[in-house]
Order: sequence, then C-alpha cells, then structure tokens
Amino acid sequence: MSGIVVLTLRILTALALYGFLGWVLMFLYREVQRQGNILISRRVPGISIMIRPAGQAGILRYFNQTEIMIGRDPGSDIPLQDETISARHAHLTYHHNQWWLEDLASTNGTRLNGIPITLPTVITSGDEIQCGGAALSISLSENVIIESTQRLRKKTSSKT
Amino acid sequence: MNDKAQSQLLRWAAFFLFLQAIILTLAPAVRERTWDVEYRLSHWVGFFVWGIFMLAAHRVLCNYLPERDPYIFPAAALLSGWGLLTIWRLDENFGLKQTIWLGISFAALSLLVRFLRSLYFLKNYKYLFLGSGLLITALTLLLGANPLGIGPRLWLGIGGIYFQPSEPLKVLLVIYLSAYLADRSNIRLSSIPLLIPTLIVTGLALLLLIIQRDLGTASIFVFIFTIFLFIATGKRRILIGASVFLLAVLLLGYFFIDIIQVRVVSWLSPWDDPTGNSYQIIQSALAVANGSVLGRGLGIGSPLLVPVAISDFIFSAIAEETGLIGSLGLIATIWLILARGVVIALRAPDNFRRYLAAGISTYIGVQSLLIIGGNLRLLPLTGVTLPFVSYGGSSLLTSFIALYLLLNISSVEDDEPAPLLDAKPFKILAGIFAVGLAACALTISWWGLVRGDNLLARTDNPRRAIADRFVARGDLIDNNNQAINITSGESGSYSRTYLYPDLAPVIGYTHPVYGQAGLEAALDNYLRGLQGNPASLILWNQLIYGTPPPGLDVRLSLDLNLQQTADEFLAGHRGAVLLMNAETGEILVMASHPTYDPNQLDQEGASLSQDENSPLLNRATQGLYPVGNALFPLIAARFGAETPNTSDLLAYYEELGLFRAPLITLPVTIAAAPADLDDLRASPLQVALASAALTHQGIVPAPRVATAVNTLKMGWVALPALDQPWEAIQAQAAEEAAQSFVKQGNAYWSHVGMGRINQTAVTWLTAGTLPNWQGTPLTLAVAVEEENPSLVERVGKELFDAVLNQQ
Repeated sequence: MSGIVVLTLRILTALALYGFLGWVLMFLYREVQRQGNILISRRVPGISIMIRPAGQAGILRYFNQTEIMIGRDPGSDIPLQDETISARHAHLTYHHNQWWLEDLASTNGTRLNGIPITLPTVITSGDEIQCGGAALSISLSENVIIESTQRLRKKTSSKT
Repeated sequence: MNDKAQSQLLRWAAFFLFLQAIILTLAPAVRERTWDVEYRLSHWVGFFVWGIFMLAAHRVLCNYLPERDPYIFPAAALLSGWGLLTIWRLDENFGLKQTIWLGISFAALSLLVRFLRSLYFLKNYKYLFLGSGLLITALTLLLGANPLGIGPRLWLGIGGIYFQPSEPLKVLLVIYLSAYLADRSNIRLSSIPLLIPTLIVTGLALLLLIIQRDLGTASIFVFIFTIFLFIATGKRRILIGASVFLLAVLLLGYFFIDIIQVRVVSWLSPWDDPTGNSYQIIQSALAVANGSVLGRGLGIGSPLLVPVAISDFIFSAIAEETGLIGSLGLIATIWLILARGVVIALRAPDNFRRYLAAGISTYIGVQSLLIIGGNLRLLPLTGVTLPFVSYGGSSLLTSFIALYLLLNISSVEDDEPAPLLDAKPFKILAGIFAVGLAACALTISWWGLVRGDNLLARTDNPRRAIADRFVARGDLIDNNNQAINITSGESGSYSRTYLYPDLAPVIGYTHPVYGQAGLEAALDNYLRGLQGNPASLILWNQLIYGTPPPGLDVRLSLDLNLQQTADEFLAGHRGAVLLMNAETGEILVMASHPTYDPNQLDQEGASLSQDENSPLLNRATQGLYPVGNALFPLIAARFGAETPNTSDLLAYYEELGLFRAPLITLPVTIAAAPADLDDLRASPLQVALASAALTHQGIVPAPRVATAVNTLKMGWVALPALDQPWEAIQAQAAEEAAQSFVKQGNAYWSHVGMGRINQTAVTWLTAGTLPNWQGTPLTLAVAVEEENPSLVERVGKELFDAVLNQQ
C-alpha cells in the first residue's frame, strides 16, 4: 500500500521536475516572442530631409531606413554633386532611439547648426546640417515615434 | 515579467522538493512494507531552511536586480535543494551541516546583490584577489587537513569548520583571467604579454595542486585556462593544442604519477579489479542501473553502497533514486544554467564582464561534466564536486558567488552589448557543453537501460543481499513437507535458518557475504521469486519496491527421516550416501560428510574454505572417487563371466554415463575417460545412476532433487527432470544380474567394492531393490574414504530395512 502511495508521489515528482523545465521552455519561447515584438516596434521613425544643394532649389525626401549616407558618391542615399563634398561625407544613423549625425572624415567637414562636429551627435527636428555648400534641414516624423511607442506598450501590457 | 517568471519557476522547484521530502518521509514504510515504522522527519528542517532563504533571496533579486536573467536563480535553487535533500537522505549529520551552509550561501547571495552592484573593484584588484587565493591554497600545503582524517589534505580547519581554498581559487582565477584579458584587446596567440603571465600563474596553481594530488581541480584549471585563451583569441587551434596537451599529460601521468595511473586503469578496464580501485566506479554504475527509468524513490534505493556518495558520487545517488527521468532533468537544469551563462556573456556590456560570465559558465560546466562523466565512466574519475548539488560548504558557497556574478552581469539595464569580433568561440563553448551533457545523458541510458539487467545480476551487487533482508525468501521443504531451510525474522531483518544443518554440503546456504551454494544457489530464481511468478508481478514489485516479489517454496525429493539414518552412520566418517528412486531418479537421501553448520556461517565462513576436510564440498555429486570394482554387478550384467578388454569396458562405462555430467540442479564434477582402468573415478551420483539401471529394467534415470514449486496461482507445480533417461543394459540381463547379487537374508541386491588410487582407499556399496519388489524401486550408492566394508553394509541394511518396512 505504502508502495503505491509512494509510486504515485514518484510519478508526481517527475511531473513537477518536468513542469519546471516545461515552464522554462515556455518562458524562453515568450522571451523570443517579446524580443521579436520589441524589435518590430522599434521600427525606424521616418525622417524627412529638405535637401538644398548649393545654388539649387530644395527637394524634400523621406527616409525610413536606419542609415543614410551623404556624399558625392552616386551610390549615396543623398548624392550631392558638389566639389566641396567628399565622396563619403557624413552619415545619419538611427540607434539608441535617436538619430545620430557623424562626419566621415570629410575634407571640408560637417557642421550642425553652424558648429563643426567631430563626434557622433544627436540631431532633432529643426536642425540644419551643412555639408560643404549643401544644407539639409531635418524634420523627424513625431507621429511615427508616438505610434510605435504606443504599439509597444500595448503589446507588452497584453503579455503581462 | 522577469519577477513573475522567476517566482513561477521557484514555485515549481519548491513543489518538486516538497514531493521529494514527502517521499523521503514515507520511505521507511515502503522499505519495510508496513505503515508501522519510524518515519523520517529531520530533513524537513532542510526543506524549510531552503524555502525561507530562497524566498528572501528571491525578494532581494526582484528589488535590486530587476533586469537579471530569470532562469539561473531558480535552476540553482532547484539543484541546491535537490542536493540538500539527497544529502539528508544519505547522512543526517552532513544534511544538517549542508543546511547551514546552504543558508549561509543564500544569505551571502542576498547580501552581495543588495550591497555590491559594481564589479569593477574585481578588475582593479585582480592581483590582490588571485594572490590571496594562491596564498591560502599554499597554506594548505603546510597546515592542510582532511575532515575525514584520510585522503588528500585540501582543507584548512578552524575550530571544527573546514574550508577548501581550492574551491574559491577557481573563481578567483576566472576573475583574474577575465580582468587580464579584457585589458588587452586583439590579443594574438604569439604575443608574449599574453602568454607569459598567464602561463606562470596557471602553472603555479597547477603545481600547488599536483603536489596536493588534487587531480580534479588541476584539470579544471587547465580547462578554464584553455577556454579563456580560446575565447580571447578565437583560435580553434588552441582547443586542438589543449586536447593534445591533455592527452600527453594523461600518457605521461600514466607512467609517472600513480594517482593518474590508478584513475586511468580503473577507467579503461574496471571489470578487472571490481573490489579494488574500480570498486567506486562499478558501484556507481550499479547504482545508475538500479535507478532504471523512474528511480527507486528518495530513501528507497541503496546509494550508500557507493563510497563518498554525498560529494563525489552524488550524481549516481540521484540517478539511483530518481532514475533516468530525474537524472535527465538534472542534466537539463545544468544545461539551462550553462546556456543562459553563455547568453549572459554575449549580452554583457563590456569585455571584462563578458569574459567573466563565460569563465563562470566554463567553471560550472567543466566541473559538472567532469564529475558526472566520472560517475558514469564516460571520463576518468576526478574527485570534484557537482556545483550546487554536492556536499561541501566551500563548494556550495563558491557556486553561489559564481551565481551572484552571473546574475549581476545579466542585469544590464540600458547598455547595449559590447561589440563582438567573433561569435564562433561562444558558439563552440555552448556546443561543447551541449555535446558533453548529451553524452552524459546517453551514458545514463546505456547503464540504466541497455546494461542494467546484466549489471544488477552481478554477484558483487550488494542490492541482492539487501533485498533478501526485506523480502521473504522461499522455504525448502522435504518430500513430506517438513521444513529444511526457512526464512525467519521480520521485514528488514529477514535471515535464513537451516533446520537440518547436516544437509549443508548439499543444500548449501545463502549469505550476504559468502554468497550462495548448493541448492540455495541452484534454485535461487524460484526461492527469490524471479521464476515461477507472473512477469507482471515481478515488474510491479521491481517498480514499487525495487526488489523481487516474495519467494516461492520449493519441495525437494529428500526424505528427512531416511536422511537422518544416513547421517547418523556417516557422522565421524568422510564419504557420501545417495538413495534414489531408480525409476524416476528422485533422490531420497543425499548425505555428504564431514558437514558444517550453515547457521554459524557468520563466524565460521572464512575458515570453512580453508578446512582440509573440505566440508563445503558436496561429496555425493562432486566427490570423484576411484571406482575400483564398485560397478562389478553392472559388468556382470553385460559381460557375464567373461573378462572384457579395456576398450570394451570403457565403452560400456560411457554408455552408463560415467563420462558425462548428470543434469541436476546441483553442481556436479566429472572425470574424463582415463587411459588406465585403475585410474577411473566417478562421483557417487554417477555410480548410483548406473546402479539404478540394474535395479530398474536397465534404464539409467534422470536424477531429480527439486520436485515442485508452490506458485501463487496454480499451487504446487511439478519441476521436470533436466535430463533424459536412457537404456543402458537389457532389462532381462539387469534382472538376472541383480538376482545374483542378493545376499543371504536380504530383500535387496548389494555389492561391496573397493577403489584405490595412490593413498586414497574408498569402500563402495551399491545396492538396489529386486525386480519383483512391488513398491518403489530404490537404488543406493555409498562411498566412504576408508577401508570399512562393515560400515557400508550396515548403512545399506539400515536404510533398506527402513524403506522396505515403511512401504
């Protein structure tokens, strides 16, 4: 009799042990899901740039990638045919929830709101970038940020 | 989310341990198969201490490290609680000590988490830490002690508390190497700044340990150092080089360092020396085999049979009592810690912490693999502890400090992981852990499932003798249902009682030390309930108790009244008497003298085998006596008055079965056909079988001593004879010969013969009932190791008188 009681307990113990491991697997799976959702919701907020090459009319362009290359090189995202601009002049990157401007050791330098930059610098709406003779004015689409933040909140709160 | 996951997992761990604790409480009831036992309760202290301190540490973690990894703390808590209960089960004194150490370890973890957030001081004072670690380890060279009094002196003792400095030294080495390597990015293999200091430090540590003969820690140091170099440089040739180096050390050590030689030999060929150096590893394999799939249940197995079960062999103790299911779960839990450790390393915000996390995982992983592999004979045995699980305060505390470092590093709030030049070393590290643990899992299945039955049937498996104390063995009874050997006592202390000790050489004994002999050995499967019972019953008993079902009684053809007559005559002489039913081959009397008392085996067992009178020998079946002219009546039956030549006679003896082993449930000895007839030897059993042909129609019967077994479902079931009867002489010739050997006044034929080889003289009597006898045809063979015709004649007369008057 005691044997049968303990046999039941032994089977239950095995179930408890694998319950532990099963829950681990479940939490790991949820972590993957959550990580995926976070990365999806971290979609790059769009950036609108008014490009005014020296002596030309400005064009407004909208980007939604994480890296924008500015330079004379025709393969650049913002190609500027200007002698004062290096082939790979500067780039804009999105990380840590910010847009960063970095000068890529250009000959004539990059200025932000008139100040030459040497380190990667955070930019925001209304900033003006000068590369050689060209000027770029930035406007970040706030809507996108707000929307993505809300989506993130909704997803994480529904999980918890 | 983190806190929720962690508390959910801790709840499962607590539930698991709670059930284990209940099983341990009930275990005595299962072992003794009654509710009226003393239940085990003391281990609940351990369970509650575990619960309270674990909860406190959980609270602290939730408050101070909200972003930590939520898996490793529950996994470590599960392992440490599991180890704690197993230690309580093995030894209550050590259980209490481990409980205190576990409380201290949880408290240390909580305090460190609460008050020590930044790890940078570790990096800054790396030489201080390593230096003091080495210094304390060096102190053990001078002041070292061993709490057990024997073995390597690796401990420092103060007031009864012992501490093993080589345990924290492993973590200090990891810290030092992380700090050193993190300061030198882009290290090339050939660069001197890398190699010289690390080699010096590691070599120093190794030197200390080789002098102290601690093979386990020394190999862990080599592994840690190798993996650090590999991670820092990303060169796979380091792993190859280290493998070659280890092989070379193993080979060199095999020839020059005795401790390595002993370990390697007992690893490669354990079966050659099962009671010496390989005792541990074989007992460990037996424990794993005994665990089988579900395990015996905590407190119901016999893991204490493995030496040092509380520390070095705790894994096999766990495998025995929780089985394949439990040990695979344990391995999966260790894998969880290691895999998360590598993930934590990858996510670490700087190289120091990345190396530190990888090094800690390596330390836990390598040590677990070494000892689990050693327990399973996958690797040579190295005496290291299983992190979190094994007994040992220094080991447990060190494991928890390592856990704190991992938790601390995992708790990165906003920082992005440091850039990684090459992910390959981390992938390979995780791969090594995965492959190693998978190999362990496969090896458990090998011992537990594939080799299990073979292993457990080994005679050096003490579990059989232990089961005999808890399960009643079947009785042996004579043909009139008189008990011969019975089981006495109560469950837990059953022992064998031999009511007719003079039968000892025939019926043998069953003894926890001296094993089994005679009929007790030959009929063991019935007496132990493994044969004659339904397979389902055997399986069921194996499942719930880990023992065979209660044994079955076996009835023998022996007749104790006649047996007593024979024994009275033989007392003080050397020889054998065998009275047999000539038709069925059932043996009514089988006496062999001198004899011994199997009830006194505890005291006399060792001297019996040395006794020059060989009382252990069953002379009736194993005594090879010079035959001489003992078979004269049979020769007369075939050849009449002629004198046959040697080859004819040998052919005739062959027909009578003198050169083949009679099949019977007893050990028999036979002699080969001799070149010279004077050298002919035979056992009394063979002579009796041949004489039976004269008594009963010229047919040599198939001998039988076990006639029936009392099964549960069908009652007494006859056990068939093992041999086939055959016709050796013509019935007519046998009858005539028998009549011509009747002596005046006797109702039976008889012949006294003499055999002599060198100094051995044997007096034989062969006799039998006559063909016109209406009762059971009986035949008798007597052999005494002296010249004493009157004795054998008196034995014959007495026995035949008793039989003939009885019927």
